[in-house]
Amino acid sequence: MLLLLIILLPLLGFVFLGLFGKQLREPAPGVIASALAGLSFLLVLSGVLTGGGEWAIEDWLPGIPFGLVLDPLSGYMGLVVTGIGFLIHVYAIGYMHGDEGFSRFFAYLNFFIAMMMTLVLAGSYPVMFIGWEGVGLASFLLIGFWYTEKVNADSARKAFITNRIGDLGFLLGMALLYSLFGTLSIGELREAIETSTVLPLALGTAGLLLFVGAVGKSAQVPLMVWLPDAMAGPTPVSALIHAATMVTAGVYLIARSSFLYANLQDVSYVIAVIGILTAAYGALSALGQWDIKKIVAYSTISQLGYMFLAVGVGAYWIALFHVMTHAFYKALLFMASGSVIHALGGEQDVRKMGGLKKYLPRTHLHGLVGALSLAGFPLLAGFWSKDAIITATLAYPFGGTGFYLAGLAVALLTAVYAMRWYVLVFLGEYKGSGQPHEAPPVMTVPNDVLAVGAVFAGFLALPEPLWNLIEPYLAPALAHVEVHHMSLALEWGLIALSAVVALAGLYLGYLAFTRWALPKWYLTFQTWSANAFYVDRVYNALIVNPLKELALVLALFDGFLDTAYIALAGVSGWLGNRLARLQTGYVRTYGALMVLGLVAVLVWGVLR
Amino acid sequence: MSYYLLLSALLFAIGLYGVLARRTAILIFMSIELMLNAANLAFVAFARNSGSLDGQAMALVVIALAAAEVAVGLGIIVAVFRARSSTSVDDLAELRG
Repeated sequence: MLLLLIILLPLLGFVFLGLFGKQLREPAPGVIASALAGLSFLLVLSGVLTGGGEWAIEDWLPGIPFGLVLDPLSGYMGLVVTGIGFLIHVYAIGYMHGDEGFSRFFAYLNFFIAMMMTLVLAGSYPVMFIGWEGVGLASFLLIGFWYTEKVNADSARKAFITNRIGDLGFLLGMALLYSLFGTLSIGELREAIETSTVLPLALGTAGLLLFVGAVGKSAQVPLMVWLPDAMAGPTPVSALIHAATMVTAGVYLIARSSFLYANLQDVSYVIAVIGILTAAYGALSALGQWDIKKIVAYSTISQLGYMFLAVGVGAYWIALFHVMTHAFYKALLFMASGSVIHALGGEQDVRKMGGLKKYLPRTHLHGLVGALSLAGFPLLAGFWSKDAIITATLAYPFGGTGFYLAGLAVALLTAVYAMRWYVLVFLGEYKGSGQPHEAPPVMTVPNDVLAVGAVFAGFLALPEPLWNLIEPYLAPALAHVEVHHMSLALEWGLIALSAVVALAGLYLGYLAFTRWALPKWYLTFQTWSANAFYVDRVYNALIVNPLKELALVLALFDGFLDTAYIALAGVSGWLGNRLARLQTGYVRTYGALMVLGLVAVLVWGVLR
Repeated sequence: MSYYLLLSALLFAIGLYGVLARRTAILIFMSIELMLNAANLAFVAFARNSGSLDGQAMALVVIALAAAEVAVGLGIIVAVFRARSSTSVDDLAELRG
């Protein structure tokens, strides 16, 4: 019951605010929604501390129970989702102040938390799929929150449709698993796969299909195009859904299915390659963006790529470690961006910012911590988790030196663009107009908490021989993978190397973007990068426009059919009109007709 | 025998003419009674001719039916008259298509 309550509380908030939110005065919907998210967090916490649990309706679908499971993995993820979610709810009270859709916004946010917890707590794939679709819907509703502007509505549709491709993969993967094993409960599947002799090809296909689902949800190459556009939503949404929680659902899915992927070397290799490609693409695109939120959005794509690299090489717990640290510093970065946008009255172009260090001291500190953590500044949270991923490419079974070098190169880029973001927004001279003002405490306090997390969360899992709390905690819920242990000297040498790389990247970024004398080749690159390497344009030419043409042809045919059927209906309408004239309303006419009919029948009967 | 039937047919034709030609609901009603009784006459005539009691029984049923019809029909006519102070059936043409 406790588990069900975790989902039902925010769902209750959604229903209540959806029905009665308009009658409440401004801060009330936000306070209610935040309180429910906070309660949900406390419930998850108490569930984790008391050792988890299970809850199920046995006869939900024939052969498929509706099961919820709170094990270390879902508990860990649930803490991240509800914890960060609660902070962002609180922040949004300040951010959405004065917005017409204030209560609607919080209703959607609560709906999102409920669906995300369904996804996280799911004990079987169909239940997870419900949550999966639910968060997709929440994402759609929130991206298009200010739906009166066409761009926002278009972005929402783009996100939804792109996700649909991935969802189809998830659905097909589920179907294949069901046909192979006759069950979709994750626990039963784990047992079945670990002792099975099913064709590796079929299993591999199922794994690949599930991964397609993850690719869509987590904005990996080639389905990454929706995430930057998703920034059309309000900033707390970008922080909560499109950085900290929903987009990591793909990583969670793979980690949940780790028992499957741990046996599939080829599929894991594909995942790692997609991951590193995405990481590189995101980092390169982030370098050239001019929109403060889009820089952070592309960095999210890049960091998600890192997570997929981690699950691809078999380092499932490290991916989840990165999910957690990333949730802290990326939510922080987004909400610092939100504070900046708020302070400048809606301005998002970094070319009109600069010098905000002076005006927004508190937000400046948040931005600095977030950017440094993202860049992998030594000892901050992002440093430990990213370094763990890069090192894992050497230590874990499906890794390789190529992955290591690419990961390191992307880490350098990460440091450069993180520094660029910081420099353009906070250093130099203020280039905009109007007087920036610092955000209210309801917005800065959640950021303080996140900043603490972005600094210290990494200390939960340190490399050997120091302590590591996360790996042993998550171990029972993840597949066992043989790790090739490196010598301590090598390991710490690599850590030092990645620290040097991060520092070098930061320094390079600082030099390059404070002096403004960039070489010519960089400006060319800048144009390409600012357009995200024209992927959107290519997709439009190859997929979207042909589909639109097809839709036009179909619409023509549809119009023809419509005309034909309308004509048919017109004929019977005309006929009916004629026949209705028989109905004179005079009883004598009816009587006469009746007699005539009777006579006709009689005559026919006599003559026959 | 044939005289009875001829009379019956005559009565029936008069009734039918009344139903078709009259406008007042009460007169139409009386014409219908006439037709019913024409049928009764035919029944009784056949019963007598064939020696079986079936036709007479049928005539009794028709009389009972006519009584019920009178009750309902007069009720309707009174209600219509109250509503429009007229019993002309041509005024009741709301159902024109």
